[in-house]
Amino acid sequence: MRNILYKEMKLSASVLSWLFIAFGLMFFIPNYPVLCGVFFVTLGIFQSFQNARETNDIVFSALLPVAKRDVVKGKYLFCCFIEMCGFLVMTAASVIRMTLLKDSPVYLGNTLMAANPFALGMALLIFGLFNLIFAGGFFKTAYKFAKPFVTYIIVCFAVIGVAESLHFFPGLEKLNAVGTDEHALQLSLLAAGAVLYVLLTLLSCRRSCARFEKIDL
Amino acid sequence: MSIVTVRNLTKTYPAFKLDSVSFSLREGRIAGFIGRNGAGKTTSIKSMLNLVRPDSGEIIYFDMPLKDNEAQIKSRIGYSTGTVNWYPRKKIRDIVNVEKRFFPDTWDEGSFRKYMTMFSLDEDKTPLELSEGMKVKCNLMLALSHRAELLMLDEPTSGLDPFSRDELLEVFTELKRQGVAVFFSTHIISDLEKCADDIIYISGGRIAAAMPIADFRVKHSREGENLEDTFLRLEKEARHA
Repeated sequence: MRNILYKEMKLSASVLSWLFIAFGLMFFIPNYPVLCGVFFVTLGIFQSFQNARETNDIVFSALLPVAKRDVVKGKYLFCCFIEMCGFLVMTAASVIRMTLLKDSPVYLGNTLMAANPFALGMALLIFGLFNLIFAGGFFKTAYKFAKPFVTYIIVCFAVIGVAESLHFFPGLEKLNAVGTDEHALQLSLLAAGAVLYVLLTLLSCRRSCARFEKIDL
Repeated sequence: MSIVTVRNLTKTYPAFKLDSVSFSLREGRIAGFIGRNGAGKTTSIKSMLNLVRPDSGEIIYFDMPLKDNEAQIKSRIGYSTGTVNWYPRKKIRDIVNVEKRFFPDTWDEGSFRKYMTMFSLDEDKTPLELSEGMKVKCNLMLALSHRAELLMLDEPTSGLDPFSRDELLEVFTELKRQGVAVFFSTHIISDLEKCADDIIYISGGRIAAAMPIADFRVKHSREGENLEDTFLRLEKEARHA
């Protein structure tokens, strides 16, 4: 699997996949829906799928000495790798906001979602949804990606909208905790996001492997 | 020893059926897979590489079913097609550097250099900068550089100039001497006559003949007919049957 991931990085990855990891830094922007950074990271991954289709990467990979399903696993590994790079950047930004910049006037007046563990949990949920809807949808045919991507965009922005709104509801203010306040609740929500990410990704990968076996290349 | 055995391979499309295709190839033999356009050559080869999923049938390499031993089998075979363009904007050097990682024990740098020189390929060029014939050679170079025990080549001589074709057929003969089996599809009959030991003739999705080329001549050729005349006649007869 290391070789197939290496192949993804060297031959089929778009440079935008790497550059768009930097959108994780959007977690620093005050009064801005920070989860949009998650969407841009996945937009970078989408560029690699587009690149892969245009360069006949799927057939090239299927001819390598690997099982056909490993081609799918390689793509998911690549998605996860980029997503985790983006997540690390978002985590670093959140930790800096929660500690060093906790009392910064720029963030104290922030009316939108704070960069905190709940936001990171939601980021993981969106990454999981990308893997489920977009990557899973792509491997129904291994070449059509417009419908899965448009579906993902709609779901992604709906989730961002809900996540941004929740803390305005009475009793849910704790979701927008600043600094290390409400750390037990916040870390639980982050853990829930991580569990959902793993479950959605595994489910999607297994389903894609089964579908890809049946596809005629 | 049988290198590859195909049994009752069947695949149905709305307008075409690959119908119970069966044949086998022994080590150190060169087999030409011949048939007109749309006869089922590429579908058969793609099924043999698990790119196409057959409806039924069995494919066995080196006494192992493809289904359960795909990665191991693919590491022992080389495949090339003249028609597909991989990573048109990547340098050949980069493509090779990735490909050879998948053959840690069998990648042969000496063979790789030999074929790069023989085919006049430049590692710093991209497939986009190559002519169609040079792309075929580039794919062949990749297939030949990892000590494959079986080479499966889909129309490898299409697009090559007569000198390169001749050179390639000599490469096949040399590989045969080393015990490598070569299975290549073609519709250029003279290529078969120059180097093939066996002929596998597919017509309308069915195997019409699978036998040594000498036996084929005895069984099917009429007096004064060359191999091309025989195929043309057989195809016409099949169409009017």
